[in-house]
Amino acid sequence: MEALAFKDDMSSGASVAGANSMQLIAFSIGEQTYGVEITTVREIRAWNGATPLPNTREFVRGVINLRGTIVPIFDLRARFGEGVTSPTKNHVVVVMSVGEKWVGILVDAVSDILTVAKTDIHNVPEGNSIDTELLNGIVTHESRMVGLIDLHAVVSGAKMDS
Amino acid sequence: MSDLDDFKATYFDECSELLLELEEQFAAIEEGDHSSNRLNAVFRAIHSIKGGGGAFGFSGLVGFAHAYETLLDHVRDGRVELSEPVVALCIRANDIVADFVAAAKDGAELEAGYGAEEKLQFDTLTSGDPDMVGEPMEEFDIDFVPVMVTIAGAEDDAMAEAPLSLAILDDAFEAPPLAPEAGHWTIRFTPHSELYARANDPLLLLRELGTLGDIKVRAVLDEIPALADFEPFGVYCSWEIALRSDTATEATIAEVFEFVEGNCDLTITRGEAPVAEAALDAEIEAMPSFAQLMADEAQPEPLAVAEDASSAQLISFEALAESMKPALKAAPPVLPPPLKQAAPAEEFDGENDRRSGVEDRRNGVQSIRVDLDKIDRVVNMVGELVITQSMLTQQMDETLRARYQELVRGLEVLAQTTRGLQDSVMSIRAQPVKTVFSRMPRLVRELASKTGKKIRLETIGENTEIDKTIIEQLSDPLTHMIRNSADHGIESPEKRLAAGKSESGAIRLSAEQAGGNILIAVEDDGGGINRERVLQVARDRGVVGPEQALSDEQIDQLIFAPGFSTASEISDISGRGVGMDVVLSNIKKIGGSVHVKSWTGRGTRMTLRLPLTLAVLDVMLVKVAGSPYVIPLSSIVETIQCARANFSRMPTGAQVLQVRGEYVQVVDLASRFEMTTEVERDNRFVVLCEAEGGVKVAVIVDDIIGQQQVVIKSLEENFQSIEGIAGGTILGDGNVALIVDVQGLKSTTTAHKSAA
Repeated sequence: MEALAFKDDMSSGASVAGANSMQLIAFSIGEQTYGVEITTVREIRAWNGATPLPNTREFVRGVINLRGTIVPIFDLRARFGEGVTSPTKNHVVVVMSVGEKWVGILVDAVSDILTVAKTDIHNVPEGNSIDTELLNGIVTHESRMVGLIDLHAVVSGAKMDS
Repeated sequence: MSDLDDFKATYFDECSELLLELEEQFAAIEEGDHSSNRLNAVFRAIHSIKGGGGAFGFSGLVGFAHAYETLLDHVRDGRVELSEPVVALCIRANDIVADFVAAAKDGAELEAGYGAEEKLQFDTLTSGDPDMVGEPMEEFDIDFVPVMVTIAGAEDDAMAEAPLSLAILDDAFEAPPLAPEAGHWTIRFTPHSELYARANDPLLLLRELGTLGDIKVRAVLDEIPALADFEPFGVYCSWEIALRSDTATEATIAEVFEFVEGNCDLTITRGEAPVAEAALDAEIEAMPSFAQLMADEAQPEPLAVAEDASSAQLISFEALAESMKPALKAAPPVLPPPLKQAAPAEEFDGENDRRSGVEDRRNGVQSIRVDLDKIDRVVNMVGELVITQSMLTQQMDETLRARYQELVRGLEVLAQTTRGLQDSVMSIRAQPVKTVFSRMPRLVRELASKTGKKIRLETIGENTEIDKTIIEQLSDPLTHMIRNSADHGIESPEKRLAAGKSESGAIRLSAEQAGGNILIAVEDDGGGINRERVLQVARDRGVVGPEQALSDEQIDQLIFAPGFSTASEISDISGRGVGMDVVLSNIKKIGGSVHVKSWTGRGTRMTLRLPLTLAVLDVMLVKVAGSPYVIPLSSIVETIQCARANFSRMPTGAQVLQVRGEYVQVVDLASRFEMTTEVERDNRFVVLCEAEGGVKVAVIVDDIIGQQQVVIKSLEENFQSIEGIAGGTILGDGNVALIVDVQGLKSTTTAHKSAA
């Protein structure tokens, strides 16, 4: 876990592990493992409640105060349509940058840092619409399947359609 | 290149300040204050705009400003009377200068010959004034005008090449008209000790000067003290050089001394100096060696003879100068003696002005330019500090108070200091509304000439200060409001006369502080809002239902509806239906409100109520479904316990609150935000809020916690805007509270209602 002290000046998208491989932060929701590129992650913090936002979809858990700025929290489980998480102190918020914006993703736990070869990234098979919508690709790592989260897709469509 | 861009940006900054100054001065001059201070200020402003413009090669601007300046010069010394038409011409000229500046800034091209008409008027005024008394007209006819023009041209070129020698060139520009072939120059060169400290050698400079032409050098030794007072590193010697050259210009002479600029006093005078030269020749002949002089000079020999001679040779200049500038005579104390550092040439130009400008700076308020971002950072941090401080104060309960009295005292001091800090920081950001108000006279002039109406603009309270961000947002709304007043409010002169009013209409623009708000009002004495017409149009467009009865106030408010216009013909001023709704939305954006009041046949008043600052918001903290929300205090009318509130139901089933004979729509925040609350109905509270235009909304919340100040944080920064929420804020305990958008609640409810 010591590698979690990230530097802010790492430009997102720049691979830490070299040109042909990338490092992922892997986190779990139930049995499922998902990952995001390590350079997009700004901070990992324990769940400490959030102020709910009215007129938003159920996967928007609300907003938190991150050192003076207001950051929205997305419930990844709810985003994948698997029901709203009932968070405890053991749940984790992964704060990431999506473009210019910072968002937090509520997950069950952060499990690992993985280094994967870019050639090991496969396309998401057609079929399940939510998965194809929210994932960039799939990586197999030590016989585990890791879904690569498309952050832009996750945070879109947060507003209620009234 | 970026350096030049920086200079340019500064120049345009200064121009906008100078243009404001012009506007201000002429407002007073128009009132009849023709004091020389005002004229000098105007002259200075135009001169500065012209000077900088020349440096960047804005030739159109320089040409126009120059002609204008010439007129001002004539006005200043009384050769052209400051009559009403001249003032009007000047005011028009200000606008034209502003246009030139704007065009230069945007890199745009003005149509060819823009301002030519006015320029011609300047020339007519300055050249052929037959009423001039005691003035040798011929001289001016022959010499003055053409020479000015040639010099202006030369100046343009020179400036474009060498912007750095601007100051010197300025002088050249103002120099008295002399025949250009007079290749005689008198140069006075007084080195400072720094010059020697930087290892410069005057001899080399003089030799360099010698390459320009035939020179005669005389050392001025009258400063040399008695040997006892002689300091080894003191500088006592200066030189006077007579240069005879057909090719030398002031610029080429100045160039010789370029590297010692600032380390010496240098005056370059153009002029024939036969007497002086003769004196020089004689003196050079008779001059003992420097060493001998040093030894001999126990008492410095006054150079009275030489000085007299120099003054004598300058008589021709001075006579000319006197005739050009009688104003100078009125102010002899600021005139430097002829040969003491300041060269005669400088006396002719705006030296007077510049000098008083320097004094203004010395005596007046000193200021620095600071990047606004830096101030904003401070403002934000002070905002956080205020909140932390109030949080600390809240944490102090009675037991703590009793036990830690020192701590309590410390907290009180902290509270005071924080308040003071906040006020000072706010005052840094505050600016007088003058900066926007002063743009309005021009607008009114243009509107008056376009509509053919006679309109007078009065401004009151222009020194009222308000946050800079708010000021920046004010320009558009005010423009729209004044357009509206000029186009729809003020009647044509005939109609006004028929109605028994004075021919010219008045628009009054006023600003005042009222508690934590600034009130800005635009008032006209026109015909008032034609309510029948407004209602008719509103019904036609379906804004108002055919059966709906509206009070006069509600009808007046309709003019803020998007796309609303009663103008039967669309003029290029207003009537397109955009405008008043822009006013409303802009003012809403900065947390203000708009109110309109109209008296049929007597006029209309539109009032903007604006917060003093945007950085900190006074709010009421409430709870809805366990989450904290804040409601801006400025929009709250009162709070009522639900058990005591008088609710009733409309025939449609919608709930309304009856308060003092008024029916107010009810918004239950919990159900509006689709949350469930456990709090019993009777234990909840009604917060009666006033939305834009006096429309009230009764907001039902679970609990009222208290009042406090918060710093507004944007939700959009990391997320997006949400209906009914104006933003977020961070409470003392670190949690986020959402700011209720009262206006948004009201509008969405009406939307729901119309959909139902």
